[in-house]
Amino acid sequence: MSATVLHTEVGVSHEKQAAAKSAGRRFGALVVRLGAIAAFAAIMAYFVIFAPGFTSTFNLINVVEQSAILGVLAYGMTAVIIGGGSDVTEGGIDLSIAANMGLCAAVYATLLSMGYGDFLSVLAAIAVGMAVGALNAIAVVGLGILPLLATLAVLNVAAGMELTLTQNTVVGASSPLLGLLVSGSFLGISALAWALIVFSAITIAVIHGTAFGLRLYAVGGHPEAARAAGLSVPFYVSFTYVLSGFCAAVASILTVSRLSASTPGSGELLLSVLAAALLGTVFSRRFVPTMGGTLLSVLFIGLLANGFQLLNVSSYWVNGVQGALILLVVAITSFARGSEGSR
Amino acid sequence: MSVSANENPKVSLRAFLAKYSVLIAFAAIVIFFAVASPTFLTPANLFNVLVNNVVMLAIVALGLTIVISSGGIDLSVGVSVDMASMIFVMLLAAGYSGVVGVAGGLGAALIVGILNAILITRLNISPFLATLGVLFIGQSTQQLATSGGQPIYLTSGYAADQFNAIARTALFGVPTPVIVLIVLAVAVHLLLHRSVFGRYVQAMGAQPGVAWYSGIRVPRELSMVHVLCALLAGVTGILLSATVKSYVPLSGNAFLLDAIGATFIGTTLSRERKPSVIGTLLGVLLLAVVKNGLLLVGWNFYWQQVGIGVLVFLVLAASFGLRRAAH
Repeated sequence: MSATVLHTEVGVSHEKQAAAKSAGRRFGALVVRLGAIAAFAAIMAYFVIFAPGFTSTFNLINVVEQSAILGVLAYGMTAVIIGGGSDVTEGGIDLSIAANMGLCAAVYATLLSMGYGDFLSVLAAIAVGMAVGALNAIAVVGLGILPLLATLAVLNVAAGMELTLTQNTVVGASSPLLGLLVSGSFLGISALAWALIVFSAITIAVIHGTAFGLRLYAVGGHPEAARAAGLSVPFYVSFTYVLSGFCAAVASILTVSRLSASTPGSGELLLSVLAAALLGTVFSRRFVPTMGGTLLSVLFIGLLANGFQLLNVSSYWVNGVQGALILLVVAITSFARGSEGSR
Repeated sequence: MSVSANENPKVSLRAFLAKYSVLIAFAAIVIFFAVASPTFLTPANLFNVLVNNVVMLAIVALGLTIVISSGGIDLSVGVSVDMASMIFVMLLAAGYSGVVGVAGGLGAALIVGILNAILITRLNISPFLATLGVLFIGQSTQQLATSGGQPIYLTSGYAADQFNAIARTALFGVPTPVIVLIVLAVAVHLLLHRSVFGRYVQAMGAQPGVAWYSGIRVPRELSMVHVLCALLAGVTGILLSATVKSYVPLSGNAFLLDAIGATFIGTTLSRERKPSVIGTLLGVLLLAVVKNGLLLVGWNFYWQQVGIGVLVFLVLAASFGLRRAAH
């Protein structure tokens, strides 16, 4: 488990103190955390019983497909939050990620429609995504601008460039790669779902299974200590922003394949991406952002929307319930965290 | 802050540039557009910039200035704008008088503010997440109340016309909305920089722990901060619907990013990067002038967004980068 790995590296002394203080408190926190997960489980159980077809393989794969785009973006956001620290105003955050995806999608679809092949178009989309990420990295690491502000400015640039490129229109796109993503399947699981599965496996392995990932947590958790231990903090933080740009580019290809076009309005995904990345912390024992937690919350958001659809509840409720759940989960989390001493 | 005399003159020049980078940028931009477009400095255009681009954004940004001073953030300002606008328009459309409409609109914003305050101070949710949750809930509420986002138009009637007229009149040559802004800006300035409450807010922003230990009733003051922010956003909501004679669901969100940007641009004025009313107003003016100027020079809406992003980026880069070099 990520959390276990984490405190062996950066939180040892803290952990000892906590253990010395009281095991009972940690038990309390555990109960609270299990309570939050039980609430999730209860909602799922309700859908399983009352929503027709909720548990059918077809439907579940459908949910995974729908979650692919949000998931890939949320991984990028999670990486930035891990590497920059989770303080909301000063810590790592990438507000430009959804707009960046829109820009990459526009570049990809436009190049395809101009007759360039998949290879060049995909390469260009990834280059653009990583360039936007690099711009964020330069602003945050090189110039020392607050991430919230730097990525806000870059959001405007990326969104504006998408609009100038597409003139706010839908750019249709088709290519062999898109065809494969839409209709291809392997072992009965569609290509889009595979994309999420593979991307998740790689991200989780890199962030939670390698020394690199551990160091990233160290940099985000305590930059001074990480520096003292000989880690290059600027490198790791820059890496997260470029990775976030890369995720935006990958997500852009998925979204173009799903809609067979690049469409305006991708910026609206930003809040869901933030929600997924932040909601994921509840799945970790120390309430830190983890890739696994992010995946679970992405799937949860997807299942929620899907369950509502099957129950014929108006989609207008989804945002509100999502918001209420964020508040519930975070209130519980902060209650549990409060017993460990506020950070 | 004055730079001490024994410092390297090169460094002090950098510090000077860093401190005044926003003002210098603002002056340069005004001069540029004045030269580039003959209509830019005409009274009609300046009136248009003030009324349509500055006032509403500035009032929202004033609220955010208070919240950001306290060390928090309010992502739900758009919801406060929308809810005030929605209730105001619904009440007027139902034939109630303007006073009832305004009271209802401000009441709706007040509820948003109180909800934020409860979540942040009673349930200990971080302001970012609390207001993000309220933003989601607010969006759903509006969609449910308007069957998916249908705008509500005010047909001509006494109260509606009266408000529209007020929004378009001028007192001693100053447009009424501008007067509203000036009054609110002076009030917020006094509150934030000249009152005991303001001291508490600044203390909470600088050192929350110390503020608590020095006996400041942090929950009470923080609640006030969020309620004030929501109420100010509510004023914008009412001005907005009085100007366009309608309520368009989810339109308030457009203010959020600009207002955050303006407030933080304003923080570059102070060495400690503290938000201030004057800084925020300057930030709003900067954004508004650039938007208007780019339009006059013939850039379309899409390029304007790129231009604003690049400009804000450059101003921030200059301010943060030069300051870093000066230290």
